[in-house]
Amino acid sequence: MIEAPRPTDDDLPVLHTLRCIGFAALERVAEAAGLPAAEAESALIDLAVAGLVTHEPGDFGGWSLTGAGRAADAERIGAQLDTAGVRAAVTRSYEDFLVLNPELLDLCTAWQMRSADGFATPNDHTDPAYDARVMDRFTDFHRRAEVVCADLSAALPRFGRYRVRLTRALTRATSGAPQYLADEMESYHTVWFQLHEDLLVTLGIPRF
Amino acid sequence: MTRIHPLSARPGPGADVLGGKGHGLLTLRRLGLPVPPGFVITTGACRAFLREGHLPDGLRAELAAAVSDLEAVTGRRLGGPGRPLAVSVRSGGGVSMPGMMNTVLNVGLTTGATAALAEETGDERFALDSRRRLLSGFASAAPGSPVPDDAMRQLEAAVEAVFSSWDTPRARTYRELHGIAHDLGTAVVVQAMVYGNRDERSGSGVAFGRDPNTGENVPFGEVLFGRQGEEVVSGGSATRPLAELARREPAVWTGLLEALDRIEGHYRDACHVEFTFEAGRLWLLQVRPGGLAGRAAVRVAVDLAEQGLIGRREALLRILPHHLRHARTPRIEASGAIDLLTRGLGACPGVAAGRVATTADRAARMAAAGPVILVRPQTSPLDMHGLAAAAGVLTASGGPGSHAAVVARSMGRPAVVGAADLTVEAAAARVRAGGRTLPEGALITIDGTGGEVVAGTPRVVTAPADPHLHRLLEWADEISGGGPGRDDAGRLTAARAVLLRN
Repeated sequence: MIEAPRPTDDDLPVLHTLRCIGFAALERVAEAAGLPAAEAESALIDLAVAGLVTHEPGDFGGWSLTGAGRAADAERIGAQLDTAGVRAAVTRSYEDFLVLNPELLDLCTAWQMRSADGFATPNDHTDPAYDARVMDRFTDFHRRAEVVCADLSAALPRFGRYRVRLTRALTRATSGAPQYLADEMESYHTVWFQLHEDLLVTLGIPRF
Repeated sequence: MTRIHPLSARPGPGADVLGGKGHGLLTLRRLGLPVPPGFVITTGACRAFLREGHLPDGLRAELAAAVSDLEAVTGRRLGGPGRPLAVSVRSGGGVSMPGMMNTVLNVGLTTGATAALAEETGDERFALDSRRRLLSGFASAAPGSPVPDDAMRQLEAAVEAVFSSWDTPRARTYRELHGIAHDLGTAVVVQAMVYGNRDERSGSGVAFGRDPNTGENVPFGEVLFGRQGEEVVSGGSATRPLAELARREPAVWTGLLEALDRIEGHYRDACHVEFTFEAGRLWLLQVRPGGLAGRAAVRVAVDLAEQGLIGRREALLRILPHHLRHARTPRIEASGAIDLLTRGLGACPGVAAGRVATTADRAARMAAAGPVILVRPQTSPLDMHGLAAAAGVLTASGGPGSHAAVVARSMGRPAVVGAADLTVEAAAARVRAGGRTLPEGALITIDGTGGEVVAGTPRVVTAPADPHLHRLLEWADEISGGGPGRDDAGRLTAARAVLLRN
């Protein structure tokens, strides 16, 4: 009897990255996981054969997890946490994250909207002083976010990827591409959201 | 130095010292309205606390004296023995910073006082529920700190937690973004607790003197029976329309209408209040004048001028030209052909059509490909990015005073809240309404005036000419000497220019 290839822990980084970003083309999975595209694709194909991920073709297609994939990821990422003996440390970092989270959402909102005569209106980005003020607060926020990221990567090295991605988004935003704050697929906000999702999945906390 | 002012009917310092909430409560006392007894700790005390890192010298003694006075007025003792006094400890700066600062309720309910409250009321469930709310209030205001089991220490810790909340990084960021000075500090309002969770004849709510969506001169708002007030504002519980009070608590309803009337006469503007009723008795906890936008603001200004409460010139000055952008509000055409899925409460007028997104994040992502309607069980501040990205918002619970509704209004996003028949299954990426199931991505249309939720894209009509806006613009032309050749905003701007020059 021929057994289907069993997914190994080598595939876990790709499986879990896709779990946290939801639905994505190969390039985004590879980028988020910090792997060469060929390596990520090979892992995705193995995972697909094992029934854990699926690929939708077409211009708007991409990779996503199956129900079995979500279950397998939850189990394996939880086991990784307990094997490393860092559940308490990651839980503390998650609490620190929750303190920062509403402030990040305030900042994203302030970038998209601004208050005129007491009423919020879309930010049309015609006031460079205002935009610079928001950007400054993002930079200040990032210093505090980096502390949480550093604590997390000390507990589990895979979390180090978020620090790299957040720093890159902010650097792009402050060097002339402000859409990397809140309006891009690889924006600061998107990466932050994926970190939130990652913490929930890792600790086994339901989102709702 | 006096750092504590009683909530009395005597005139006190301004909102810069007592905060907007404290100052408003003094006004309510002067108007002879029911306000729970209490006192205000000034913004100056907060500044001293932030400077020195501890409660300033002498404040403990002032606090003890103020508590003694409150005990004398209420015939209760903080922490017991005998009939226990518990207090609410609320932030309230001179400038509003919604959602940024802490509040702790039921302060003083030590284990002993909780037992005493159970004995006094003969209702242990109520006493334990109140104690539980105290503990969760402390847990979110001062995470990780133990809750003292001495009533006076509890009060001091709650005051410190509220003072400290002025300086959280999030509050600092908020002030940076909104151009609010960092050195103002917040006042703290301490009042004898009135328990909205006392029994089935108790509750909390928000009441508007005029409908904030349309400006119509009818009371509007929501009420939550058997609960304390925090849950009304958070949108986490199913509220009932305010008018249900008329049937269930007629005395509270009548008292509320009289109060709103007196308050409006004083402020000469549409106002709203937060209120609690305990065992059938009404108490007012906060008043805020104004804050209406668009067509509602126009209607209120014109109605107030016609009632003689304000002059026509003032009516013109109260309407900012950008209000007029929202003033001609479209509606779903109410013909028999519409495919009505369900109905909720209109929380922000306007019609929005788009694809269903069941999480804020998906709304933000899907918005790149076209308009989305964010459909949620309720919304929280964590959904702000989704609200910002969405063309409209639909929630199953919450009411017109919930955070979701306030945010939607401030952004001018059509919103329908409290669609009780709606179930959102975010994990399965679908919603159920009217006995039907719609997957994420299905096209729906919401009408934030009437609260309709319709499948597909029905015909939309721009509202017929608004007689109030027409009247206001006639007044504008009389002032400016202009005619109706210009657009609405231009006519108003011309009149305002004349008025502001004089």
